[in-house]
Amino acid sequence: MTNLLEIEDLSVGFRTPRGNLQAVRNATLTLAPGESIGIVGESGSGKTVLSRAVMGLLPSTATRTGSIVYQGREISDLPRDEVRDLWGTGMAMIFQDPMTALNPTRRIGSQLSESLVVRLKMDKGAARQKSVELLRRVRIPDPEGMLRKFPYQLSGGMRQRIMIAIAVSCGPELLFADEPTTALDVTVQAQVLELLDELRAENNTAMILVTHDLGVVAGHTDKIAVMYAGDVVEYAPTKTLYASMKMPYTEALLNSIPRLETPTGSRLPVIEGRLPDPTKEVAGCAFADRCPYVSDKCRAEKPPLMDAGNGHLYRCWFPIGGGK
Amino acid sequence: MAGSGKAHMRPEGDRVLVVEDLTVEFRISRDKIVKAVSGVSLDLVRGETLAVVGESGCGKSTLGKAVLQIPKPTSGSVNFLGKELTELKGDTLRDMRPAMQMIFQDPISSLDPRLTVSETLAEPLRVWNKGTETEIQAKIDELLVNVNLDPSVVRDRRSYEFSGGQCQRISIARALALEPTMIICDEPVSALDVSVQAQILNLLQDMKDRYGLTLIFISHDLAVVKAVSTRVMVMYLGKVCEVADPDSVYQRTRHHYTKALVGSVPIPDPTRKPTGNLIQGEPPSPMNPPSGCRFRTRCAAASEQCAAEEPQLREVAPGHFVACHHPIEV
Amino acid sequence: MSETISTANSADTGPLAPAAKKRRPVGFYLAGSWLGTIVFVGLFGALLPLRQWDLANYDYLGALPGTPGHPLGTTQDGYDMLSGLINGARISIFVSFFAVLFGGGIGALIGITSAYFRGKYDLIVVSIFNIMLSIPNLVLSLALLSTLAYSSPDKPATLQRRLIILILSLTIVIIPILGRIARASALQWSSRDFVVASKSMGTRNFTIIRKHILPNVAPAILAIGFLAIGSVIIVEGSLSILGIGVPGGASWGSMLANGRGNIAFSPHEVYMPAICIALTVISSNWFGDYVRSRLDLREAKI
Repeated sequence: MTNLLEIEDLSVGFRTPRGNLQAVRNATLTLAPGESIGIVGESGSGKTVLSRAVMGLLPSTATRTGSIVYQGREISDLPRDEVRDLWGTGMAMIFQDPMTALNPTRRIGSQLSESLVVRLKMDKGAARQKSVELLRRVRIPDPEGMLRKFPYQLSGGMRQRIMIAIAVSCGPELLFADEPTTALDVTVQAQVLELLDELRAENNTAMILVTHDLGVVAGHTDKIAVMYAGDVVEYAPTKTLYASMKMPYTEALLNSIPRLETPTGSRLPVIEGRLPDPTKEVAGCAFADRCPYVSDKCRAEKPPLMDAGNGHLYRCWFPIGGGK
Repeated sequence: MAGSGKAHMRPEGDRVLVVEDLTVEFRISRDKIVKAVSGVSLDLVRGETLAVVGESGCGKSTLGKAVLQIPKPTSGSVNFLGKELTELKGDTLRDMRPAMQMIFQDPISSLDPRLTVSETLAEPLRVWNKGTETEIQAKIDELLVNVNLDPSVVRDRRSYEFSGGQCQRISIARALALEPTMIICDEPVSALDVSVQAQILNLLQDMKDRYGLTLIFISHDLAVVKAVSTRVMVMYLGKVCEVADPDSVYQRTRHHYTKALVGSVPIPDPTRKPTGNLIQGEPPSPMNPPSGCRFRTRCAAASEQCAAEEPQLREVAPGHFVACHHPIEV
Repeated sequence: MSETISTANSADTGPLAPAAKKRRPVGFYLAGSWLGTIVFVGLFGALLPLRQWDLANYDYLGALPGTPGHPLGTTQDGYDMLSGLINGARISIFVSFFAVLFGGGIGALIGITSAYFRGKYDLIVVSIFNIMLSIPNLVLSLALLSTLAYSSPDKPATLQRRLIILILSLTIVIIPILGRIARASALQWSSRDFVVASKSMGTRNFTIIRKHILPNVAPAILAIGFLAIGSVIIVEGSLSILGIGVPGGASWGSMLANGRGNIAFSPHEVYMPAICIALTVISSNWFGDYVRSRLDLREAKI
């Protein structure tokens, strides 16, 4: 079975007045059809830049190297308009802020039918009918009435559902979800995530879910790539990651999440320190200054991606639970 | 659900704040009124951290600001340290301000981008003439060190040069400048990364212990609230659903909305199945809340009584109060 | 103590250094030099060793530019163009600068307090602004000038009086323009959390306006203020052409008015003041835009 998406050695840098800012270094990921991968990291980890690089949405100040193979085709050096053709039918996107993705001056109906008419070449009547079906599918009450509304009349959760409806309208094979629920309330978040899972199952759509929330990826992804300061530091099937994580960073991240089971009034374990300066290249491991298990070797040499078996890759000289 | 009632008040405690029947309504046009907070009562015992939990639109932020009288609530009473704030005006109200401070959700917008850190921290001290200029500068250094910032590095910088976590530390330092009795924390960690969240939550705990503060902690994130609070109040659409200690709220949930809230929290553990039965739909508009219990339109256990009669808070276990006609059995 | 400091160092060492300075665009120097020249000659023009602008030289009527002694030529009535333009600079700058200064100052005061305190006061201010803004600038200033400039039919108004009334009328026109900008900006800033924080620590309202709102609103007003200067110069020119602005060739617009009839014989009487007006308005607009874009950049970080 060929992979839907193969990213190899993808690196992205930005030219800034302070020198080159390396946002992503040698990222390697694969995605099979219907599979979902979570790219997890905090601000500054490079996760958004990585997903934008794959989507082809980087600004002109960015330099990109490496290969992106989608459905067997190398797309990293395709001209803009050809990549655009892939969008809509092949790839679709949902973003964090639905207000900026939806045109505030156009009615919902017209935004929904736009991609149907343009991409699937439907006529207006058929597009309208399909739009109503889509709205019903994303559980919007009164879908016919919704067609005539404007985005400002809707809540965040509604707008996000409409974005999802637009995104899946042309039956894409790959869905990019860039922090799709960060701006939503927790109850609406749960509904939206459940909806995404259902829609994906129906059409065997693969998904790249970019988020900072380790809770969200736990229940909705097949594998996870953890990023820190531009590197993919751990990459494993979801269950394996949580069961036997190797990276001290992943462990620290998981531990610092407050949980419902945490006894009241307890101090949360904290990752001391801050992200390293992205314009300075560090010799050793980027996490060295903050790692509770750091040693000299960590500071001197950058660990390569190592394989623990079962598709579990990590970057650490002294992984948790011992190497290999 | 959301009902009123004062069953959860504790007249025998050493109470710093007593809020009764607080109502905040905004008129946005001739016939449209947003009922942001409707008849909420609460009290704060010295030294406790009361968490006010709910989703956006439930009125928790408005509640916090109304307690501080910014702006004054539509009706109700706010009694802080023995003084009735709603009746105070001008300088008499102003005199109460140093004792009640606030920290906000958006770390960047909480600081004036044109002022340096030392100017930001100097403002409260200068307004209340807390000493000579040298004393003020020394106090600023002390405040910065307390929140784990190096004064020599941050003093002369402006807010846009800092990260979210650092800005939040500066805001906390500013709130502590006047040595308040009570601090209202309005979603202080919602805009921060997970690892920074933990740092700030720990910092708040430390400051609370060091200065003997009493906190109101407003949040939509139950797990965050669990870690820091001693008492939890759940709100929905301007009314109170449930009040109890954190363990009871999560392990012996009585209100249907609270249960849905608990069930929606994503668990960072793929082996745990989600608790299922997520509530459907969206919260109704605060301009037109449902009659009786405001949660009834999304509640599986709703009955005719729920539409007719607004439930009041009543004690279902020692220290555990619920406003529901058909609370969950435990 | 040292432990806390060392934690401070590792936990929150210095923030990222600010970005390197960008080089200023060419327009900055071009617009800047023109405006600088205008202001300079406006202020010190009278000291320059040139012919008096209103002294006619009957030997040279309608002389073309390049005539010895009159580098930019003369009008049909013998007035030296260069001196006239320099004097015109003085008047134009004087009028537009003060009109924008006073109009902007008053407008900002009203707009900011209106946005901060809201309520009935705000409603009244907005209504008045809207009414004033619905009248085209030219018409409004025409109306004001005609009513105020002439005290009685038989006593003609002096230049001073007309100038003062002109500045007054233009100030009134500017008030709602800059006032609305100030109000919109102040509305945004007043709802920021740091204003709530200041209120909650007991800072008095006017102190908050002075220390927090005004410094943040000022850049927007400044940017539009430059644009307003350009606008005022054109309005003044138009009024002078209509005959009720500055009389007797004392301003650029006035020179244009006088030179209109002679365009066939001495076109330089028309195009020279026109070029001066155009360059000044363009430079001033450019500056306003530059100020705005620099400030937008900074605010993008916020």
